[in-house]
Amino acid sequence: MIAGSVAASLVLASPPARGWLESSMSAQMLLQLPLLAAIGVCSASAIPAAVRGALARWDRWGISGLLLASMTSLVWMLPRALDAAVDDVGVAAAKYATVPLLIGLPLALSWGRAGFVLRGVFLAETIATCFRLGWLYRVSPERLCSNYLLDDQQRLGDWLMVIGAALFLALMGKLLLGRFDFRTDAQAQEGRH
Amino acid sequence: MAALTMYPESERLSAGERAAFNLYMISAVILFVLMMLLGVIMRMAQGTWLEVPPDLFYQFLSMHGAGMVGTMGMVTTAVMWFFLRKYVNLHLWAFVANYVLFLLGALCIIGAIFLGRYAGLWTFLYPLPTHSMGMWPNASGAWFMIGYLLIGVGMLLFYLDAAAGLIRKYGNLGRSLGVQWLFGGTIDPEHPKAVVASTMVIIANSLGILAGAVVLVMYLVGIAYPEFKLDPLVAKNLTYWFGHMYINATIYMGVIAVYELLARYSGRPYAISRPFLWSWAASTIFVIIVFPHHLLMDYAQPRWVSITGQIISYSAGFPVFLVTVWGALANIHRSGMRWTMPSRLLILSMFGWAAGILPAILDGTISINRVMHNTQWVPGHFHFYLLLGVLPMALALMYHVMGSYRNQAPNSGADRLGLPLYLLGGLVFTLAFLAAGHLSVARRMSSHLPEWVFTDQMGAAGAILVLLAMIYFAARISIGLLRGPVSGHAAHAAA
Ligand code: HEM
Repeated sequence: MIAGSVAASLVLASPPARGWLESSMSAQMLLQLPLLAAIGVCSASAIPAAVRGALARWDRWGISGLLLASMTSLVWMLPRALDAAVDDVGVAAAKYATVPLLIGLPLALSWGRAGFVLRGVFLAETIATCFRLGWLYRVSPERLCSNYLLDDQQRLGDWLMVIGAALFLALMGKLLLGRFDFRTDAQAQEGRH
Repeated sequence: MAALTMYPESERLSAGERAAFNLYMISAVILFVLMMLLGVIMRMAQGTWLEVPPDLFYQFLSMHGAGMVGTMGMVTTAVMWFFLRKYVNLHLWAFVANYVLFLLGALCIIGAIFLGRYAGLWTFLYPLPTHSMGMWPNASGAWFMIGYLLIGVGMLLFYLDAAAGLIRKYGNLGRSLGVQWLFGGTIDPEHPKAVVASTMVIIANSLGILAGAVVLVMYLVGIAYPEFKLDPLVAKNLTYWFGHMYINATIYMGVIAVYELLARYSGRPYAISRPFLWSWAASTIFVIIVFPHHLLMDYAQPRWVSITGQIISYSAGFPVFLVTVWGALANIHRSGMRWTMPSRLLILSMFGWAAGILPAILDGTISINRVMHNTQWVPGHFHFYLLLGVLPMALALMYHVMGSYRNQAPNSGADRLGLPLYLLGGLVFTLAFLAAGHLSVARRMSSHLPEWVFTDQMGAAGAILVLLAMIYFAARISIGLLRGPVSGHAAHAAA
């Protein structure tokens, strides 16, 4: 699994893939970053049980992990960070390291530990963030990145709005009509007390 | 039938629960007195009985609006919690977290107003709450909005915990709302109305809070980054969506007290029915899309939005209102109702809601709104159902819990005097607003034309009576709740 993750990271870091995924603001934010985070998610199963156990003690109800993932995402949402990751190799390397390790991995490890309330707050905040950023990118009169043009930025804004709306509808559908299985969700039970 | 036990064991408050309940209720009655005092000062200022500088008047109005709406949200949340916890597993930490975040939010708001001189009112039109033309610094507007965000987060935590409880028990929110029985099937007669109402509130108000979380942060971004401009109409839509939903939710949380308690005092079961389920399901959708009736005079808005606003206004509150008032009347008709404080307050709340909704619906009619828009007709109708409708629902629960401590519904001579005082004052106060609306007196104004002042003075006189009654209720309830169960008499043994 580790080998697979490293290989996937190398593929994503290869000049052709990087060139294509960083050619537009939308591709960088909506494809490259999620792919990097997905690598982190997939690597979670390779973490030895002993390490998981040690981490779990610092991650009651998944709060630390989800907080870490949120805070790191906050950095990689900023136009300035996206810009710098194109221009500066050091920042690019930081992106390749932190998005899998500090977003994807903690998400995978902590999601199961988080109870209904924490998951709800996280998802509501994700949806609100899509709308806020989407709105900002759509109406900002200036280019926020020196590497990307205004129309690219506005297209990203549209996409973020669509993603926010889709996530919202999916969540509402699940809450109103979906099936939930609390029993298999041992951590959710733990979160009750 | 268990529902007719006056003080069922399932409603007993453990020591921790009682502490939390007391915190909510006693804070609420104190806040109500303070906010009413501000209201009386404003009404007296409009009536030229008091000299209040305009900047201070708008600070008071901001505090009164945000404070009253917030306190109403807090106290009706406690009503929902008190009854819902009997049916689903609710965690005390979520209830307490909501209270703590409410207090932190309230501190931010109070600081923004009285230290930061914020005076942009509880719902504002873009570019307010910033661009105050030097009246207050942008930081005050920011603190005011951070206060709202904290209150919203607290509410969301409580709703999520309640949603988890409902889903665990009923499978999903659709089933707790009862949609499986809309088109047929045998309705479970034990399906609690409190569960149906709570589900509706959770769905609708979470959406409002989400809209608020988006637009308030965008306002904050605008403060940090002034080149960024919001579309004023979009900002207004989202602000009203959030504000309207929040205050509407208080009615739907408060009414749970009527559903739960009325039958016990009338001694007659108050059964759940298909029209009941239909009305709540319909209102769940309508209340989410009804807010455009605040924007009927925004001509830049597409016509169809206004027309939808009007049609939905008619259908939004109406179904729930009709089934509730009809159900309540049928329930008490020739029932040999026990007339004590809780039952009197419940009936008052039905009257206040019923009578207050009429001017509301009139104002939601485009041709009438052309004349009444932004006149005191608006505070007239909402004070009617908030002061005489929703607040009595919450007071009824407080009195009921005091009754459970002595196994006897409270009904002292002072109570019997306080209630008519409250009703009389409330009627004079709200009718004065409606009369002023009829005269086209503008709302949200610190001073009025001399021709209008008599309505202000009439309102101030009524308001003073309300304030006196509320001071009495606040003292009586605080003492009654703090004393707790009287050993040997309490319906539930002290925990
Ligand atoms: C003794 C009781 C009360 C008095 C004297 C009072 C007085 C007032 C006055 C004078 C205004 C300004 C009206 C105008 O626009 O000219 C007002 C507005 C308002 N009041 Fe009250 N009020 C009372 C109770 C309540 C209650 C119980 C609530 C709700 C929970 C409430 C919520 C509001 C709200 C939301 C506004 C609108 C603020 C705005 O326009 O920004 N009030 N009240």
